[in-house]
Amino acid sequence: MNTPIVQVEDLCRSYRDVKALDRVNLTLEQDKIYGLLGRNGAGKTTLMSMLTAQGFPSSGSVLVFGEAPYENERVLRRICFIRESQKYPDDFKPMHAFKSAALFYKNWDNDLALSLAQDFQLPMKRRIKKLSRGQLSAVGVIIGLASRAELTFFDEPYLGLDAVARQLFYDRLLADYSEFPRTIVLSSHLIDEVANLLEHVIIIDNGRIIVDDDAENIRGQAINVAGTAARVEAFTAGRTILHREQLGALQSVTLDGALSTAERREAQELGLEIGSVSLQQYVIRKTLDAGLSPGGTHQGTQGADSKNRTGVAR
Amino acid sequence: MNRAVAVARMQLINKWTFLGIPAVIIGGSFLFSLVIFALIPSSVGVKYSGAGQAVMWYFFGLGIQSLTLSFPFSQGLSVSRRNFFLGTVGLFTVLASAISALYVVSGIVEKATNGWGLQGRMFAISWVADRSWFVQWFFYFVLMMFLFLLGFWAATVYKRWQATGVLVMSLSFAVLVVAAIALITWQGWWPAVGAWLITLTPLSLGTLAFAFVLILGIAAFTTLRRATP
Repeated sequence: MNTPIVQVEDLCRSYRDVKALDRVNLTLEQDKIYGLLGRNGAGKTTLMSMLTAQGFPSSGSVLVFGEAPYENERVLRRICFIRESQKYPDDFKPMHAFKSAALFYKNWDNDLALSLAQDFQLPMKRRIKKLSRGQLSAVGVIIGLASRAELTFFDEPYLGLDAVARQLFYDRLLADYSEFPRTIVLSSHLIDEVANLLEHVIIIDNGRIIVDDDAENIRGQAINVAGTAARVEAFTAGRTILHREQLGALQSVTLDGALSTAERREAQELGLEIGSVSLQQYVIRKTLDAGLSPGGTHQGTQGADSKNRTGVAR
Repeated sequence: MNRAVAVARMQLINKWTFLGIPAVIIGGSFLFSLVIFALIPSSVGVKYSGAGQAVMWYFFGLGIQSLTLSFPFSQGLSVSRRNFFLGTVGLFTVLASAISALYVVSGIVEKATNGWGLQGRMFAISWVADRSWFVQWFFYFVLMMFLFLLGFWAATVYKRWQATGVLVMSLSFAVLVVAAIALITWQGWWPAVGAWLITLTPLSLGTLAFAFVLILGIAAFTTLRRATP
């Protein structure tokens, strides 16, 4: 199970004076669904381009299936990465794109592609150039799913898809994944929607990985405490506060770290309300936190350097 | 299946680009030429048509197209740059061989039928047509490869360095040409150049062009190796 599929060490990529990736270290394991989360321009697509040898690192090393992926067909034939802005030949219709993909992926499932196309109501005989944004996304999603590549990247696959189509994608992804396990990387900024799919979460901000942890661990990473201001303050004194909101006499505070059973009881006795923090809230807090501290944190989930900062000045 | 062959098959998924349009151009320009041959009174003797070159210019465009349209897509399907190059250029090599053969055969028929019965000359260009069939074939083939690779390489340069790259490339080429002309003028070499031009045969010109084809091919490949989609 724990075979590393991707090993990245000290990966940097700069475009002139912009550091798109800054000393990224990363390991992806076999047969897991990863979420690559972060804001627009955080470096998600750049990172995926480096892993698939579509782009070139400025420095550092990338190993995929134990080998360098650049011009390496042994590695490349096991990878599928349809980018969010994927270009297709001008005269191609979706059926042409699927026929092409079938030429290159030995596990290509044409029936799956056709049934997905029906589900997404994709016009198979219209030129891809003329498709709507959502239909264009559907073409990419279908290629990604039907290729059954051992390492599949979905780059913001839901763009322009309506709520029904998005749910459909998530359902079909899970169904196919459970039947044919593989390593899937889902890049997204619609975090709560994909939260339930993810087994592992990587949060990237300003080219740095700020969180790299199992989704299970992250769910207990932060907690929300609400109640009257005085009681909340008393309860949270000395703890790392990720966020504080005040509404009249009421206060809501997001704490870093989980609560022990004793602490939970204490909070209940104080009449405080304890709520879980959604993955999306967590990402937002972590990202803003990293952005506001000079140079950002790259401490991983523990955020050790923020332990000392109890303030809410931000 | 070999992935370079798969690239060639991908380029052929839409039959028009590589097969349909060249066929229409050759067929169309041939028919037009026939009509014009028929319109010209036979008293003028042999009627030459330059329509045979029409499809060659399309190959220049095809070189550009086959890169710009398909390269980013092939990257999405995780095809190596090397296999993309081999598949695409290989497919065109086959196509160019076939069309060159068609030209040679058409030229022979043209001469045998007194220019389709109309004293027309579209395929059997006099300078080339009196050589052996192989030299004729080689000449057409190299010409087509040259135009295709020129387009392909220019598109690769554009892909890697955008408009700046193409501009720099064209400017440096212009500078080279002007420098060569200046050098020849300054050294008083024009008579020698003129004498050399006269000695050129389809075979020697073809061989020279073939050297350029090789250089273009290597340049295109090296540029493509570092191109991003």
